[in-house]
Amino acid sequence: MDFISITKPIEKIEEEQEVIILGGGPAGLTAGIYAGRNLWKTLIIEKAIVGGNAALTEKIDNYPGFPEGITGEELVKRMETQAKKFGSKILEVDVLNFHIDGIWKIIETSNGTYRAPTLIIATGTRPRKLEVPGEEEFIGKGVSYCAVCDGAFFTGKRVAVIGGGDSAVEEAIYLTKFAEEVIIIHRRDTLRAEKITQQKAFSNPKIKFLWSHIVKAIEGDKKVERLILQDLKTNEIKQLPIDGVFIYVGLIPNTEIFKGILNLDKDGFIITDEKMHTSIPGIYAAGDVRGKILRQIVTAVADGAIAGMEASKFLEDIKYNKEV
Amino acid sequence: MALLKEEDRQYLENLFRENLKDKVKIILFSEKAAGSKLVVPGRIECPYCQQTREILEELAGLSDLLELEVHDFLTDEIIAKKYNVDKIPAILFEKNNNVLGVRYFGIPSGYEFSSLIEDIIDISRGETQLSPTTKAFLKTVDKPVHIQVFVTPTCPYCPRAVRLAHQFAMENPLITADMIEAIEFPHLAEKYEVTGVPKTIINEKVEIEGAVPENVFLEYFKSALKD
Repeated sequence: MDFISITKPIEKIEEEQEVIILGGGPAGLTAGIYAGRNLWKTLIIEKAIVGGNAALTEKIDNYPGFPEGITGEELVKRMETQAKKFGSKILEVDVLNFHIDGIWKIIETSNGTYRAPTLIIATGTRPRKLEVPGEEEFIGKGVSYCAVCDGAFFTGKRVAVIGGGDSAVEEAIYLTKFAEEVIIIHRRDTLRAEKITQQKAFSNPKIKFLWSHIVKAIEGDKKVERLILQDLKTNEIKQLPIDGVFIYVGLIPNTEIFKGILNLDKDGFIITDEKMHTSIPGIYAAGDVRGKILRQIVTAVADGAIAGMEASKFLEDIKYNKEV
Repeated sequence: MALLKEEDRQYLENLFRENLKDKVKIILFSEKAAGSKLVVPGRIECPYCQQTREILEELAGLSDLLELEVHDFLTDEIIAKKYNVDKIPAILFEKNNNVLGVRYFGIPSGYEFSSLIEDIIDISRGETQLSPTTKAFLKTVDKPVHIQVFVTPTCPYCPRAVRLAHQFAMENPLITADMIEAIEFPHLAEKYEVTGVPKTIINEKVEIEGAVPENVFLEYFKSALKD
């Protein structure tokens, strides 16, 4: 990463906006670019880090236009600069609640209440937990969901990565910078990650695989010492001595505050049409939080662009109706 | 070669011009011979002292309201003791002749550079971004509290934990809040069993894993005050 990383200016933000975007990842930032270019007063509210999950990705090799690859941090920083350039404001606070009052979509945050006639939900996802004994207990004591944050603590050690998708395999490769041995534990006997990423993992001498195994428990005294595994083919239970475990077993949408208000699918993702419209006029969803087939930066920015344009159209319509 | 890129330098110069109000003195404890190949017996190793000094020199040069004072940890032993500085590089802040409880141990690079900039602005303006409830409670704290926040420069969640702890320290002189770069101080990371960041320790008894919202942090803080 860059030697230094600079974010956010401090400024006063008006309560009344024209477009409010929840989430400052690639979808939210792109929605900000499109809404901003249509000169709407646009506020992006981010609860954790601008850039979202993309900022945590060490290197992105499949985003068009960057044949040499680009770090997640650099890519989202450029998107942030672009959104700000076209007038979007970014506020880093926690979102506490949401309700609707007539035309207004009202967002309560830890730092005041903001309202706008249009709302774009780009709140993304968070890591799914394994939900096995020991997982909660050992968070920060060997259980991690962030390889770039915590990888260095496992220098020369032996770690497990749970999962078989893109995140799991990419992070396993990243962890070989530090760890002596990285064991990918996957419930199936093939990986779901992109083929090129798989190849990299298969040819890395530090990476080993345990196929068709699931984690039953994470055990240790004060910190993680071993995993209890089940071999799905033989049903045999075994122990694996380990110093750390990084969990990448899927995503949970950040949609809790919209339950009962918007239509969600059975996994909690927001249901939209191809114009990113949700079940309520003036509310759009974009990026990973939306029910969709491919969760990638390139599809998130496409969603964001459409949502930004659709919000613009909605605002033009109500403005037109007001004038006549 | 400058550590700050030209565009960042311009951005910060502008940010400081618009946001700084009162003078802030940045105090760095480092080692004078940093970077030299000369081995001085008894001198502790400080691989990031030189870079920390360079970045602070560049930063202090961006505003007339910022001043940098550099001490050698070994030869200025008495001053280091007075400020309770036991490891380097260490960064402290002084405003109106008062040394604040906001401290950095280890280089504020990567994502932590933003914490440093925001701290400087808050200190200069003499106000934090904390909620009125938190501020009111912190005014009532009447005994010393020591907060330690372990970070790595590549952890995007860490500045939230650092900034929260530092703002707590700005609200009451009895509160000291340290950012500790875990990789530079492995003995402390080991002592506090840090294998994930951010990790916050309050008064050696309350531990917080991860970055938590302000109201949650306040509850942990209150629980550390109980005997």
